[in-house]
Amino acid sequence: MVGELDLKKSCRYANQLKNMAELLLDSSIRIWVVLPIVLITFCVGIIRHYVTQLLQSDKKVDLEQVSDSQVLLRSRILRENGKYIPKQSFNMRKQYFNDAETGFFKKVKRKVTPKNPMTDTSMLTDMMKGNLTNVLPMIVIGGWINWAFSGFVITKVPFPLTLRFKPMLQRGIELLSLDASWVSSASWYFLNVFGLRSMYSLILGQDNAADQSRIMQDQMTGAAMAMPPDPNKAFKSEWEALEIVEHKWALENVEEELMSRDLNFCGIFSQEIKATMF
Amino acid sequence: MASVSEMYDVTWEEMRDKLRKWREDNHRNSEQIVDVGEELINEHASKLGDDIWIIYEQVMIAALDCSRDDLAWTCLQELKRQFPGSQRVKRLAGMRLEALEKYEDASKQYDSILQDDPTNTAARKRKISILKAQGKSAEAIRELNEYLEQFVGDQEAWHELSELYINEHDCLGDLGVREAAVFHGGVCVCVCKQHTGSVVTLAGGQCLQECLARYGKAAFCLEELMMTNPHNHLYCEQYAEVKYTQGGLENLELSRKYFAQALKLNNRNMRALFGLYMSASHIAASPKVNATVKKANVKYATWATNQINRAYQLAGRGTKENKCSVKAVEEMLESITMS
Repeated sequence: MVGELDLKKSCRYANQLKNMAELLLDSSIRIWVVLPIVLITFCVGIIRHYVTQLLQSDKKVDLEQVSDSQVLLRSRILRENGKYIPKQSFNMRKQYFNDAETGFFKKVKRKVTPKNPMTDTSMLTDMMKGNLTNVLPMIVIGGWINWAFSGFVITKVPFPLTLRFKPMLQRGIELLSLDASWVSSASWYFLNVFGLRSMYSLILGQDNAADQSRIMQDQMTGAAMAMPPDPNKAFKSEWEALEIVEHKWALENVEEELMSRDLNFCGIFSQEIKATMF
Repeated sequence: MASVSEMYDVTWEEMRDKLRKWREDNHRNSEQIVDVGEELINEHASKLGDDIWIIYEQVMIAALDCSRDDLAWTCLQELKRQFPGSQRVKRLAGMRLEALEKYEDASKQYDSILQDDPTNTAARKRKISILKAQGKSAEAIRELNEYLEQFVGDQEAWHELSELYINEHDCLGDLGVREAAVFHGGVCVCVCKQHTGSVVTLAGGQCLQECLARYGKAAFCLEELMMTNPHNHLYCEQYAEVKYTQGGLENLELSRKYFAQALKLNNRNMRALFGLYMSASHIAASPKVNATVKKANVKYATWATNQINRAYQLAGRGTKENKCSVKAVEEMLESITMS
């Protein structure tokens, strides 16, 4: 390989001047390795995004879930904006939700079936698809790059690393005295996978399927779909929040506030009202 | 007939942007949409790209409003060809059947959408509008109530329900019974056969109490809307009007407050200004209030009168008609005070 000979030469030179850790890399490395890896990672990411979109199955929304989420929204609005309606109306609604026996949050208990990833078929297929589109390409391409561009360092990370990083970042280079900051092509590939995330959001818009780190985060937090899996818990917390809310009518002194000054009529009587289309 | 682009000297891009603006602002200026949209579709279809599909939808609905079935049919065919099996297109097909008054077929169409997708709100709302179009308002109210039990957050539906309740008893206005109820300090003068009271019975033997109860339900719907849109002066004003119609000292006070709130949100709401004046003067004229309340309400009514006069002075500013209209307003205000 082209870079190898140069590397061995410069390494010998570097060994002579022990303190000097500057390696001079062949510029062909830049053209033929660094840039191609960036391009490969980028293109694979874009392809992954479109493939995920094609393979995506329609999310079936449950009527009950939609209804529950809207009820919770209504209760939240009641808490926040209840001061705009009369006291009696507010109390009527609060009682509807929170009454000890007949209140909605007390009375309604939803059956919660815990979604076991092994038995729930839809989640199983989703997981498989996720694995297929994300993990598999990463392994395959990482391995290919490791094989194709082996035996030389690509670049130097700008911060010093300890020796323990050497076997991880310098695969295929058995040089004991080489600074751990010099990394091989495989690590450059992984750097790109995570680094190009912002590029993807620029080009593909937010929430795109090429964003691997976000997908990994999702896998860790578990199945967090539209509703929290337990609507009963949501109801209980909403009940508590509504209990403590007091009604402070915003219209208590509205007349005084209004009549403290004259009304502002500017713009109300424009001579010519434009009725044309453009 | 000259084309739109010739008449107004606009390019096709401007026409397309105008259509988008109308779409986003939810305007219902159907005739204008049909004029602009028809020309865009016929002349510039190739330049529009993927925008054309949403324009087809917009123009189709406008064409149904203007009874342009030919144009609606063309748009529908294009959409069906591009999106076979789409529920949104099925809904449009149902709307066309509604426009042709084939309500049975339209209803079947919506039922088929709901079979595939029970959470489709658009189809359910169309079914309710079929009932409304057929004049079956009681059924429409019932269906809408059921719909709202499941989809509590649907603003449009709440507003529609409040309108249905308000329009349920226009018969009351004919007989002037509403005024009687209000003027008697809000004591419900029940005039139907089932209750004791005066002799006058309403058309259909409706109970006045029932009618007034429907106003109460309309008020409930408007409260929902006020909570989700606290800065919308129109909801406040409509709520105040409903409360005023219900009558009774408490309701009159509430209506005065909400008229004031509507004015606070929008100083130029003349209807709210008149409403404020009327509710304040009615409270002041009522025999049941004590002196302090009476004094306060007289003060509010006077302030409202001053503002109304000011507004009419500003309008026209010195033209001859203006002087007459200002005088007319003053006379009207005086006449209301005396009655």
